[in-house]
Amino acid sequence: MTNDAMNGLEATLRIARLEARVATLEAVLLRRSNELRELQKLLPSRELLNFSRLADGLPPLPFGSYDLAIWRETTALTAANVPETLRDLWQSLTPKSAASR
Amino acid sequence: MTAIEPICPPPRETARKATLLVLAWNRWDLTERCLETLLATDLGNTEVLVVDNGSTDETPERLAEIAGIRVLRLPKNLGFVRGNNAGIETADPDSDIVLLNNDLVFTQADWLFRLRAAAASDPKIGVVGCRLRLPDGRLLHAGTYILPDTFWGQQIGALEQDLGQYTAEVREVEGIVFACAFIRRELLAEIGGLALDFESYFEDTDYCLRARKAGWKTVVCGGVTLVHNEHGSTQNDPDSLGRLFQTSRAVFRAKWGPELSSRYRHRLLWQSIMNFPTGYAMSCREILRALDTEGVEVAYRYVYGPRTVFPPSEPDNSEDYRLNVLRSRPVSWRPKAAVVYGQGDVFGSNRGRIKIGYTMLEVDGFPRDWVRAAQKMDEVWVPSEFNRQGFLASGLKRPVEIIPLGVDTNYFHPGLQAFPNLQGEFVFFSAFEWGERKEPGLLLKIFNDEFGCDEPVRLLCKVINRDPGLKLKEEIRALRLRDSGGRISFLFNQEFPHYQLGSLYSSTDCFVSVSRGEGWNMPLMEAMACGLPAIATDWGAHREFIDEGNSYPLRVRGTIPAVAKCPYYTGFRWADPDPDHLRHLLRQVVEKRDEARAKGAAAAREIAAHWTWRHTAKKIIARLEALGV
Repeated sequence: MTNDAMNGLEATLRIARLEARVATLEAVLLRRSNELRELQKLLPSRELLNFSRLADGLPPLPFGSYDLAIWRETTALTAANVPETLRDLWQSLTPKSAASR
Repeated sequence: MTAIEPICPPPRETARKATLLVLAWNRWDLTERCLETLLATDLGNTEVLVVDNGSTDETPERLAEIAGIRVLRLPKNLGFVRGNNAGIETADPDSDIVLLNNDLVFTQADWLFRLRAAAASDPKIGVVGCRLRLPDGRLLHAGTYILPDTFWGQQIGALEQDLGQYTAEVREVEGIVFACAFIRRELLAEIGGLALDFESYFEDTDYCLRARKAGWKTVVCGGVTLVHNEHGSTQNDPDSLGRLFQTSRAVFRAKWGPELSSRYRHRLLWQSIMNFPTGYAMSCREILRALDTEGVEVAYRYVYGPRTVFPPSEPDNSEDYRLNVLRSRPVSWRPKAAVVYGQGDVFGSNRGRIKIGYTMLEVDGFPRDWVRAAQKMDEVWVPSEFNRQGFLASGLKRPVEIIPLGVDTNYFHPGLQAFPNLQGEFVFFSAFEWGERKEPGLLLKIFNDEFGCDEPVRLLCKVINRDPGLKLKEEIRALRLRDSGGRISFLFNQEFPHYQLGSLYSSTDCFVSVSRGEGWNMPLMEAMACGLPAIATDWGAHREFIDEGNSYPLRVRGTIPAVAKCPYYTGFRWADPDPDHLRHLLRQVVEKRDEARAKGAAAAREIAAHWTWRHTAKKIIARLEALGV
């Protein structure tokens, strides 16, 4: 095999490897997007916000949960709005079931 | 299009003709949207007159293409005042006038019908405005006020989330912005059009004050909400806005200064607390607003701070324009009269020559040092007969007057936006700071025990804990609530804007207050004003406003020693609520919902009729007059 032919084959293989990598990354991205969409459907908006913050390396918002089991003891008051809080509260009590998705 | 039934709709066919005067200067995009939405509403006997204030864009040509409107083309931009006056002069001389900005969007078919109904409700109503909302959904305007200290008009309700506040069909105000203004023909005939003293700004407040001087009222029709893209025709030119504003303000000050100052008939120093999240602070803010509105030139000073029982210095900003002005009003070192509104142990700070101490307590008497301080007052005020008796029993010899607290029915009424439970559960709601007095354990235990987790019932508790020595999780765990029992949710240490609390109450079905003692019980009163049926201990100050007809008084088994961390309670007694009766009432409310709703409706009516901050201010003014202040 000539040098030119060798170089041509190597280039073809490199392109094939890169295409395979792109295809794999696309598949991972698609799966991740689907997972995030599912989470978006299931989680109250505040929990989703905290999820994003954690993914970005930020701490969760300083906010006590409605559930005693994950209630963080604090004496600090947290500013909140009634509409968002109640929407989150009621949504947290009625998560959409997998069947309804 | 939204529609709410007006209280007293006039017959449509007898409504006098109205000229809808749309003032436009360039920004065809805004004018086009305004006219499109306007013409799609129920206009009845009207003429739409567009005053083209010398537009240089496509406005003249495009207006000519629209059927069903009349156009007055002015040769150049005459400004807001002269442009509107030109339209008024051109309109049918027998018609009422509705001034409209071209940056309005009409989303309510019956808006004009309602404005007319508001005007028709009283022959002395000359000007009718409406609620204005920003495109992002925030409230922009529900009327205006202007203080003689600053001559800077303020819009009521501005920039609050619109949750249905200020929706009374007819509410008298000092002024309105003329983005939308219904003006009765008789008023125009009497005082004419807009004053030429102003090119823009202040002309609307000026007009409303002129109307008032001539004996006419200005009202806001809360049943009408229009979307307002503020300053649509000038938003690209902030310099011109500033120049126009300052020029008009100087003219307004010279014209109305003495008149506005003369509305104050009493002068008072109010020493209290207002920029902390406490009950005294919240009620102080409301009382100050009401007193100022009712003609008391009230100046505020912080009464706590270093070397008092509450040492922190108060933050300067009240986040409320009127309160910030009241805080900055000058006060002489020895004013004629001063009220200290707070705990009795700060009465000694009273700076007035006439000294008034205004306080309350949750037990059946008052501490000795409070009584000693109260003896040095010319008069002592308490909100309830419960506290009056407590002071007298504790040996106070000074006059004790009852000045009840109140509620703002613009923010606490049955028509607020609710965010109901998605599962349709019946939701009991309670709000308290965790402690001995509020007896939270009793409510949680009885609720959890009476109901099962399979019942569509929930208890929602808004809980505050600021005591680092108190571990709420442990306190609640110690109650050993059953997993199979009634379900309970918590909103823990969350601080909501006060103006939003009505929506919180309205999103639930019954308010529960199982406390051992109350100095007033503001959350109970606010919940009742929102039309909630309420269960409340039948002991304490709130017996002033609860009874069998408007609520569910919870029996007490008697009184017991008030054992608590709070030193003020030592040696006194408070109530022992009856657990069996609480259980019975919780079940009764769930099972007899029609009865509960009827009690809630009665409560809302009674609170609105007798227990507003205006009533509080009127009682204070009566006392000031009796004292010669």
